[in-house]
Amino acid sequence: MAATLNLSGLTDSDPGLNDQSASSRSSNRSLRIAERDRRKNEAEDPFALALKYFSDVEAGTPVIGNDQFENNLVLVETVAYSKGLPPEGISIMLEFAMSLRMGNSPCVRVLKCLIPATVVPQEAVVRAVVWLCVGKIPISSQVLFIKWVLTVFDLIDAKDQLRAIYGFIFNFVTEENLCPFICHLLYLLTRKESVQIFRVRKLLELQSKLGRQPFLLYLLSLYRVFCPELVTLSIPSRMRSGFRNHNSPWKSALIAVQKKNGSQVSPTISLPFMTNSRKRKHRHLEIPKLCSVVNKPAQTEPSFSRKVVPFMQLNSFTELLENLHRIELPAQMGSLLASSMALHYLDCVQDESALLRLNFWLGYTLHEEFLFNSDGGASQDLDEAQQFLNKLLFTQDFLQEGFSATEAFLYKFLRVWDGSLLRPQILSLLSNIPVVPSLKIGRLLFEPLMQLFFTSSVFFKCGLIECLNNMLSKWLSWHTVYALEDDLDISLNSHTSINMTLSEFKDSVMELVHFVGRLASVGLQLESYHSLLLSFILDFYETVCDTFVKYELPLIVMPPAGVFYPALFATEPVSVDRLAYIMYRYKVNLTSAKLDIKQKMKASHISRQTFYEFNHYKAIMVNCLWNSKMSEPDMGLQLKEELLCKSNIPEYWKSFDLINHPAFMSCAIDFHRKCWPRKRNVDLNSIKLSRPWTWYLQYLYSQGYNGLKQFVSSM
Amino acid sequence: MFKFVSGFYCSIVNMERGHSSGVKTPPTRGVVQKSKNKTYQQSYRSCLRASSRFALTPALTARRLNTSRRAPRLHNITEKVRPEHLDILMKTEWKLAYVTPLYQFRHTQLQSYSRQLSEFIAAEKQQGLAVEVEGLQSSFRVSFSVVPGMTEADDDAETVLIQIHSKPMFARQDKPQKPVWSGWLTCINGNPDYLQSLPQDFICLPLFGSSGSEVLTRLVQSWFQQTFDCCFGCLEISETCLHWLAALWTNCHSESSIQRLKLIWTIPVKPVLQVTYTVNPQDAWDLWSDIRKEPGEENEGEDGRSVDIEEVTRFIQGLKNHFYKHFKLDLSAGPLQQVSTALGSAKYSGRIKISSSRYMITTLTLLTEGALLKMPI
Repeated sequence: MAATLNLSGLTDSDPGLNDQSASSRSSNRSLRIAERDRRKNEAEDPFALALKYFSDVEAGTPVIGNDQFENNLVLVETVAYSKGLPPEGISIMLEFAMSLRMGNSPCVRVLKCLIPATVVPQEAVVRAVVWLCVGKIPISSQVLFIKWVLTVFDLIDAKDQLRAIYGFIFNFVTEENLCPFICHLLYLLTRKESVQIFRVRKLLELQSKLGRQPFLLYLLSLYRVFCPELVTLSIPSRMRSGFRNHNSPWKSALIAVQKKNGSQVSPTISLPFMTNSRKRKHRHLEIPKLCSVVNKPAQTEPSFSRKVVPFMQLNSFTELLENLHRIELPAQMGSLLASSMALHYLDCVQDESALLRLNFWLGYTLHEEFLFNSDGGASQDLDEAQQFLNKLLFTQDFLQEGFSATEAFLYKFLRVWDGSLLRPQILSLLSNIPVVPSLKIGRLLFEPLMQLFFTSSVFFKCGLIECLNNMLSKWLSWHTVYALEDDLDISLNSHTSINMTLSEFKDSVMELVHFVGRLASVGLQLESYHSLLLSFILDFYETVCDTFVKYELPLIVMPPAGVFYPALFATEPVSVDRLAYIMYRYKVNLTSAKLDIKQKMKASHISRQTFYEFNHYKAIMVNCLWNSKMSEPDMGLQLKEELLCKSNIPEYWKSFDLINHPAFMSCAIDFHRKCWPRKRNVDLNSIKLSRPWTWYLQYLYSQGYNGLKQFVSSM
Repeated sequence: MFKFVSGFYCSIVNMERGHSSGVKTPPTRGVVQKSKNKTYQQSYRSCLRASSRFALTPALTARRLNTSRRAPRLHNITEKVRPEHLDILMKTEWKLAYVTPLYQFRHTQLQSYSRQLSEFIAAEKQQGLAVEVEGLQSSFRVSFSVVPGMTEADDDAETVLIQIHSKPMFARQDKPQKPVWSGWLTCINGNPDYLQSLPQDFICLPLFGSSGSEVLTRLVQSWFQQTFDCCFGCLEISETCLHWLAALWTNCHSESSIQRLKLIWTIPVKPVLQVTYTVNPQDAWDLWSDIRKEPGEENEGEDGRSVDIEEVTRFIQGLKNHFYKHFKLDLSAGPLQQVSTALGSAKYSGRIKISSSRYMITTLTLLTEGALLKMPI
């Protein structure tokens, strides 16, 4: 009978812990009958018989010379090391060992083979702790038992009852040999409720006796997390992180068994401690450690004290979600940048003061590191600075917003920046800044950027144009999101951080586009039409030409002549093709803008000048590439006839058509060869005839010049 | 006329010459406007929104030192502030730092702060040993106290004085604890626009002075950082500030003798040349009163005419010219390191000693301004 009881769950046979055992006994009767039936079928199973032996064996049975015992134990050991013990097996064997029914030597042997196949029933552990309290077990076995509990801790199926007997377990800390292991176990079991002043005092008393022991310190530091008002301490950086990983006899066997069973290897019990041992040279670049607040603001109504959860006590994303409404911010807001879970939370922090705290810290850090640091500290330890900025960038990307402290810092930093220190990071940070009002944009951004642009290498120029392109697309996306929400409301301020009307926003965008236009025109001249730079500039205009359709901003700005002509007369076909694509997109945008005006009967918000400029550029492109006409009146590019004649180029007006254009000449020759393979003399003019011309165009399209194709088909 | 405005953009851009306009602080919108329907977007973002909250966002408005200030009055500080407090403030040379606004600092909680800080110091001092909060065994006794009367404008938060007492390790039991460290946090005539723009949870005490061991200073600072989420940074006394102090102290000579005006420059040659320039107080005063007399428009106020940055610059230039005449060495070549008179001394490295209580407020006003200029936001 005892066996059945044990098998159906240890609670039933545990009078000390369970008062309703009598009632459950009757209600479990049917279950037990079913169980008995099952066991009858398994009667032949030697393993089950062995377990039965251990659950039934009388106290005081001799060990020496007991073959039945020996055989059964060997059987259990074999099963344990090969497959692991089932939960009820664990219960029986643990009970057998801890009750010392056959003395201490089998106890140790049994404990060593307690390898769970799946889970460890909590009741078994609780009951074993009860046996521990009886106090007959030799100390070495006690240590072995606690070590076993630590090893299988993650496999214990529930921990509520173990937590309920926290006080009993705590009592063992005074046992000198057990103390390190008990501290570890307590560490794993501690909840806020378990932190009590008398326990703190007890631990401190032990500390005064044992000296600075890591296990006491780590337990105390956990107490500090829960109740900073009870205990304070600082962990020396050289102290090893976590409890010593007890080299337990079970670990390798456990891993082997679990691997065989295909279940997940239990995570090694480790501490969430991250003591950084490395002394940092630049103190201020360190992200503060996560700590809970000590001075809680006085609650006005103690009865209605909203239960808050300090952020530090959250361990998983699920916990974060469950407690989202009652999280207490950490003592230092900067510490939130350290973990990605914290970033999720930061995204929903609404507290203005909290964000201000974060900005103060961030601003301080950036200023001290890059602006106030007179000894050139930044260059001394670039790695650290780079890591910090990367972290900041990651955070801003994650939040899809820039911090105001970063912005304020950048405006100052741009004035002293040499354009090379941490260039990728600084440029990325710069591209994150929110819309700057048009009145201030010149002084804050353009002045310093212009200086940097004209005094730096072509690669910096490319980088800057790319950065400004990103900035523009971020501004435009920002506009799309909020302008849509406001549903045609001209004011954009109701949902966003920026108080700005649509026209102010348009002004800012226009300023930016014009600024890049100026930079690009002069930059191209300075760098003798560097094709890489041109490519970045065309990238920028690919964003600009789509403002109306893609971003729904009623603003279209044409590129300046200084960008248009270099792209049109570029020597690489890609640039001409991209220009054609950009012109095509301009056309699409302008057409839909026109349609919009007609439909909504609104006043035109695109100026006539823009339409004029577009048509003008289009005419030039068509004339140049198709009609072989160079000089048109008011082309914007005037060369005297005599001067062109002096150049001795025959039919100079044809020089930039699709055949003779320096960018496409090789295509034309290629085409010519393919079209008339027999012809020795290459006569490009023969392509001009209407039939080959169509073929030639087809050939060009097939080479991937889709921009041209779209441009042609839209004209 | 040559106009000279200190640029306090940052320590790297020290001076901007030739700005004759834009030196006034731009108008501000003042108090924070708190809207009810906050969305999460009103967040970390944007100086621009912040510019309405933090009107003095340096990036957008370029805070600068005031270009004119009232001539120091004879302050009746002795009537307002207790003599023992004044004694403490005047006794030592202070190392200065700036502090970002303190979050959730309460002047009513000073006692509990005293306890916490002493426990914190105890825990840090014996790293690796936990310390019971509320325990009595601490070897350091910290006391926080308010210095009543040490404020000027309505927006200034009360000055806080921190003292740490300790007993030497091997002292006899009955020996009393000795003060080993002291420090204070203050805000005198802080820019009202800036102070008002901060939310209620913040207390702005931007100027921090400390004297005592570096280790304790660092501990106190890190306790503040952890408790009030603030940051401490070095506060140098900029050259312009030193000029101001030289002029303002000289300006007091008629009321209380400055005994000497001592200025120390370092000239960047190899080996570095240090020039100590001591001026007879009467000569300094004569030069200063000459400069003060010159301008045509005399707008004598009730407190006497305010001192203008131009006058300060000309005063210093006058001293330099005189030096040049004798030694053919232009002192503009190197930075001014130190100014000292009987009323006090100030060093570029951020150390100040105020020897006369009468001019304490003026000096602290100037330093508070300097500290606020260093604020990141």
